[in-house]
Amino acid sequence: MTQFSENRRKIVKATGSAFFASGLSAIPLRGYAADPVNIGALYPVTGSMAQIGMGCVAAAKLAVSMINDAGGIKSLGGAKLNLIISDVQSDTTVTRTETDRLITGSKLSAIHGCYASALTLIASEVCERAKVPIITGSSSDMLNKGRSYTFTPFARASQFAQTQLQMSKLVSDRPKVAVIFENTAFGTATSNGIKELAASEGVEIVMFEPYSAGFTDAAPLLNKVKASGANAMFSVSYLNDLILIVRSIKQMGLNIAVNAGSGGFVMPDFYKNVGKLAEGLQGVTHWNHDISAESKKCNEEFKKITGEFLFEYGGGLIAQTFMLADAIERAASTDPQKVREALSTLDVSKGFAAMAPGGRVKFGPDGKNIYGRPIGVQWQNGDLASIFPKDFAKASILKT
Amino acid sequence: MLETVLQAVVNGLLIGGIYALVSIGVTLIFGVVKIVNFAQGEFVMIGMYISYYLSTQFGIDPVVSVLISMPILFVAGVLIQHYLIRRVLGLNDLPQIFLTFALSLLITNLSLMFFTANYRTIHTWYSDEALHLGGIYIPYAKLVSFVLAMVLSGALWLFLRSTDLGKAMRAASQNRDVAQLMGINPNRVFAVALGIALALAGAAGSLLMPFYPAYPMVGQVFVLMAFVAVVLGTLGNVLGALVASLLMGVAESLGIQFVGADSGLIVVFVLLLVTLALKPSGLAGGWRK
Repeated sequence: MTQFSENRRKIVKATGSAFFASGLSAIPLRGYAADPVNIGALYPVTGSMAQIGMGCVAAAKLAVSMINDAGGIKSLGGAKLNLIISDVQSDTTVTRTETDRLITGSKLSAIHGCYASALTLIASEVCERAKVPIITGSSSDMLNKGRSYTFTPFARASQFAQTQLQMSKLVSDRPKVAVIFENTAFGTATSNGIKELAASEGVEIVMFEPYSAGFTDAAPLLNKVKASGANAMFSVSYLNDLILIVRSIKQMGLNIAVNAGSGGFVMPDFYKNVGKLAEGLQGVTHWNHDISAESKKCNEEFKKITGEFLFEYGGGLIAQTFMLADAIERAASTDPQKVREALSTLDVSKGFAAMAPGGRVKFGPDGKNIYGRPIGVQWQNGDLASIFPKDFAKASILKT
Repeated sequence: MLETVLQAVVNGLLIGGIYALVSIGVTLIFGVVKIVNFAQGEFVMIGMYISYYLSTQFGIDPVVSVLISMPILFVAGVLIQHYLIRRVLGLNDLPQIFLTFALSLLITNLSLMFFTANYRTIHTWYSDEALHLGGIYIPYAKLVSFVLAMVLSGALWLFLRSTDLGKAMRAASQNRDVAQLMGINPNRVFAVALGIALALAGAAGSLLMPFYPAYPMVGQVFVLMAFVAVVLGTLGNVLGALVASLLMGVAESLGIQFVGADSGLIVVFVLLLVTLALKPSGLAGGWRK
């Protein structure tokens, strides 16, 4: 790389052309003490997940400016983090080519992305081959299989299912749960996780039904839930179906506790769409803005920029960026392999990098944070409050 | 048990009313102008956004905003007929198919640009409330939209039967050449047909708004059901499309209740196939010979 840059410098000098000079002025010449540290950011800022992707980018930028304003990476002479953002367009093929392009086109020290597990799985494959570490808040357990460059600091999908089942006991001593899920890979995998754990958690499942995603009307489905005699309902749904389901519950005269998991449910947009009907609904997240003093501070900053509270994935992403900064600081290098080594020995229990439920981050050999745990949340007064388990709870549960 | 069945039937009828507004538009265009309008769902979406903005900016109730969305879309229909569809009518089928298909893609993508992909909902005082009849729940928002859908369908049926223009439209749909020989101006008739069809789509959009979120791709959710209803109710037959839409709503709801929550559409398509096997041109057509 050094040789390449020197060659480039020679070319610039030799030609002295304005064309080259202007073309290269955007690319910092290497070899100086405080060269920036390039971090790749892969998010879907167009396509079906665009809105969430843009929230992620806002959070990533906030995190980088927090680190840079505090003096950057000290072991690299105060080097600044430089975020290189790429749009993966909510599409697996684009994710593959964009990850490749980012790695070959820029000298990256690490990557974070991509919100959706389906996209992150592809990006992490590419990173694995290119030997660049990737850190992610995606929850698929598949990300922890056969990978040594992928780091997942938050709770896994399998842990989410367990927490959901445990939370059903908050609303009834003998929970009778109706599980409705969209008939897609996401819906089936998540609901099967719930089904497998139900017996060992002592929860009875009285209805287990896939439905066609993108329906015109939620009333027939809820009529079926009503007939099942369930007193709690888990809905594994994307935002559109969930809005319809929640809006139809009251119309159908259904008296039932709802746990809608994660995803679109924990976004400010959900509350905007269903309003007061969201009050009391429960979900599960890997991060929430009320878990620590640090997270509250980030939430305030984020609100100033976007006007919305800091959502699950965005908050986790700020913590992830601080974990990367911690690793780069200790590696005292921008070399991705050294950053990977430093990440694998990361062990933080204070500051923004430890801003995770459980308050500590240390990766096991499978890249999973051994202290990672999910939080049960509930919509209360237009905000998401952490209510479960007891040692994380910041608000008491609102009985509906 | 009886309550559950009745509730399922009621749910089916209520959503069937919305399918009817969309499918009647499609069948009217097909019957009179002899083209398939793939963009019909997109006009439902436009109707939804019109009501959304009228409600959030001016506080106009979405049901009242039918009075605004229908005329706007009527004019849009006349213009689309005059400047786009009229130009390709003499040609073979392919340009016509691609014209409406392109229109659908264009409108969807423009909406993504202008309205963004966010879901938009409206809350009215009646959005979450329901009428209780014994153990049966009838949500007000859906009841109002069902009643208005039936009124609009009935008005269209009367218009087609008893006005000169309506008769001219039926004549043009039966035989375009003979109608022209009788002194009917096809361009005028076609423009009105497009206008009425799009106005119905706009009405469907406005009436959906109190209980359904608007987003740029929402049209595709309803247009599939509309096409099935059009075929089931015999191509070009307005009353057939209405009956077929209600039947499909009920079939879907009962399918979800008694077959499986992801089997609603399966039951609808079985209904379609059985009907076509017995009556090859749909419910309003003759029996298989």
